[in-house]
Amino acid sequence: MIKPVTQETIIERMRAFGTVEQVRKNRIQVRTIPDKLHDAITTSQAMLGFDRLVTISTVDNGETFELLYHLIGPLRFIMSLSVELPRNQATITTVSDILPPAGIYERQIHDLFGIVFEGHPGLKKIILNEDWPENEHPLRKDWKPGPDTFYGGIRVERRQTDA
Amino acid sequence: MAVPGTGISQRLVSWARKKSPWITVFNSGACNACDIEIIACLMPRFDIERFGILVKGSPRHADILIVTGHVTLKQASRLRRVWEQIPEPKYVIAMGACGASGGVFHGLYHMMESVDRVVPVDVYVAGCPPRPDEIINGVVTCLGLLEQDAAHGGKEWRQKQPAPCIAAEGKGGGVVP
Repeated sequence: MIKPVTQETIIERMRAFGTVEQVRKNRIQVRTIPDKLHDAITTSQAMLGFDRLVTISTVDNGETFELLYHLIGPLRFIMSLSVELPRNQATITTVSDILPPAGIYERQIHDLFGIVFEGHPGLKKIILNEDWPENEHPLRKDWKPGPDTFYGGIRVERRQTDA
Repeated sequence: MAVPGTGISQRLVSWARKKSPWITVFNSGACNACDIEIIACLMPRFDIERFGILVKGSPRHADILIVTGHVTLKQASRLRRVWEQIPEPKYVIAMGACGASGGVFHGLYHMMESVDRVVPVDVYVAGCPPRPDEIINGVVTCLGLLEQDAAHGGKEWRQKQPAPCIAAEGKGGGVVP
């Protein structure tokens, strides 16, 4: 007989990876560090049944970027594994080897926030246009479009009324 | 034949073209409300197929291109390529407030300001989103332009004219002054 996994079991198991907090009913947030993230996902997949990735969301907190990996399983719980990265060295190991759908989210985050995912098989542009300038990440809070920068697309003459 | 387009075969072709315009829809970054209104056109309540208007998947089969939404930088080159694939005579309808001026997205960093920066637009349909009967009205306006262009032997005669804009009440422009 399979022993049902309860909320207490999840909290007990995930305590090894960082602080566990029950944000609200059916949602658990685990604050962990980048080195333990891979093990945390493997553990939650193998032992607790969190085997699907909902999405990866990113928050720009000013000094740091916060990555949230939302996992869901047949238990009607969503577990958010939260990782903080320093802004000046935003690099993290990819999880697309254990969660293949994560690859496409990581490419999008790489486009819009400039976070580098090490070990990703093809980290190229997905959502911005191909001739978008390098090192411009539009969802960073401190980004402003430069008035003289060409952001790709088709060049058009400005009308007189635009000036 | 002094006037072009008056031969019997030409008259037959333009008659057939006018009786059954084929349209293709291109979403250049819209919020999908315009696309849902186009789907509503296909449904039994409006049923544009009874006018002979068919929505085709390929631009190579189409006479009229409907562009829904503002044009993002990434879609601009693709929209241009789709437009180039349509055989002449071709007509472009810019749908909704976004197609005319960018709508609520006006001035954002990732978009062209309107459809007519990328492809020449013949008819603007106002609304956010336009009602299905206004879309049908826009297509019928294109047919009126087609007839006048055939009479003038090309599109060049209305280069200086502003494109007709259909009123929101659905009164229908349709006639170029």
